[in-house]
Amino acid sequence: MSAKTLSRIGRWLSESWMMFAFFIAFFWFWEQSIDWFEIPEYILTKPSAIVSNASADLPRLMEYTYITGLETILGFLVAVLLALPLGLAITFSSILRRTIYPFFVSVEMVPKIAFAPLFISWLGFGLLPKVIIVFLVCFFPIVLNAILAFGSLSTELDRFAKVTGASGWKVFLKIRIPYALPQCFVGIKYAAINATVGAAIAEFIGSDQGLGFYIQIVTGNMRPDLAFAGIFLLTLLGLGMFGMVTLLERMMIPWHISQRRR
Amino acid sequence: MFETDDGPLNAVDPSDLEIGKGDFVSLLGPSGCGKSTLLMMIAGLEERTTGSIVLNGTPVNRPRNDVGVMFQESTLVPWRSVLGNIHLQLEMRGMNPEAHTSKVKELLNSVSLDGMEQMMPHELSGGMQQRAALCQALIHQPETLLLDEPLGKLDAMTRENIRRDLQRLWMDERPTVVMVTHSIEEAVQMSNRIFIITPRPGRVDQVIEVDLPFPRDLEIKREARFGAYMADIQAVFQGYGVI
Repeated sequence: MSAKTLSRIGRWLSESWMMFAFFIAFFWFWEQSIDWFEIPEYILTKPSAIVSNASADLPRLMEYTYITGLETILGFLVAVLLALPLGLAITFSSILRRTIYPFFVSVEMVPKIAFAPLFISWLGFGLLPKVIIVFLVCFFPIVLNAILAFGSLSTELDRFAKVTGASGWKVFLKIRIPYALPQCFVGIKYAAINATVGAAIAEFIGSDQGLGFYIQIVTGNMRPDLAFAGIFLLTLLGLGMFGMVTLLERMMIPWHISQRRR
Repeated sequence: MFETDDGPLNAVDPSDLEIGKGDFVSLLGPSGCGKSTLLMMIAGLEERTTGSIVLNGTPVNRPRNDVGVMFQESTLVPWRSVLGNIHLQLEMRGMNPEAHTSKVKELLNSVSLDGMEQMMPHELSGGMQQRAALCQALIHQPETLLLDEPLGKLDAMTRENIRRDLQRLWMDERPTVVMVTHSIEEAVQMSNRIFIITPRPGRVDQVIEVDLPFPRDLEIKREARFGAYMADIQAVFQGYGVI
């Protein structure tokens, strides 16, 4: 580890120690208050009990994390792969802009989660309805931000590109796409955060596996400790999604103002 | 109605604009008169409704590619270095950047940006960004350079320095330059001809030949004949009621 890295970690710690202290205090208070207020185990358990009880059920939790993770990633990826080209097409086609675009804007107002029971009833308990619901949650923010991104070239750059006489394709590759990337990432990040929400709710409604299913079952069995373990793993899944997108963003647009001087 | 550059196309009436080869022409007028629109008409990017534009001996009827452009907001893309941005001009035109290495060096030297090839735009000051944009606008050795208030956002001292660089580059390479400005002083210092544009509706009202020797440095601005040109032009704008 270089001296520079060490000093960076040192600086980070000196800036963030209060945050860590608060987290530790929070969990300590939680741990103690179960005894202080004599809270029964079926209402809330100590954090230490959550850790030990969850590790006893680890194989099942791992399997369900994998299943929920698969639904989340599949739905998210399909949304990214469809929404970006479609956003592009809508930007450059006046017909699509007058037909599909207003339709998408209105559908964005509909809470997609409300469709979940319908998809479960149409497609059953399997993987597909969950992937579709995650897809619906992720698709609209990406497509709407992509339209915003591809349609907002600055006047100066637009004129510069025109004066060079370059083909539309060249302008597209060398100017429009890189110019649009930061705004595209806004939509993709939003989708990444919400993808796990879609997966969990879809599992609440109709499922026989996955973390959403697990949380519902153990809550029914008066096991809040295990429910917390499921919630924790769902959070981890969401953080993982967000982290991957952030990493990709940092690699693809290191020049953007949002990526500088971290 | 004339608040934006993209306002109605009849904001400016070119009324038979003629710009000769190697001229440094300023389009001087109050803000909102449509100078920028006129500049884009000269580039062939905006439709003209009346009059005619003759540039370097040929009428402008369609978009021209033999021009370099520079705006108030820089056209440097944030994802490329200074060198990468200069190369962008060449790449867009299907020219080979490798074949222009010495020209790039020469241009960067002439605006004191040597050694900053690898800097990213956000690492540069506003003045340095516009210097790099000037190199970008000139690298393909255009016949014509179109400048839309290129120094408008810079502080007074930086502006002086870049004016000097620009004038030297113009004297060395002798491209035709058309510069939009609302600074009377800048117009007199830089150009051999000034087109005075009336406020709303904007139209070319007078053409003033500035008969002063180049290079025009800071000293010449203190001379009586420089002051006389400024006074004459000020009187014209006072006549319009804009100052």
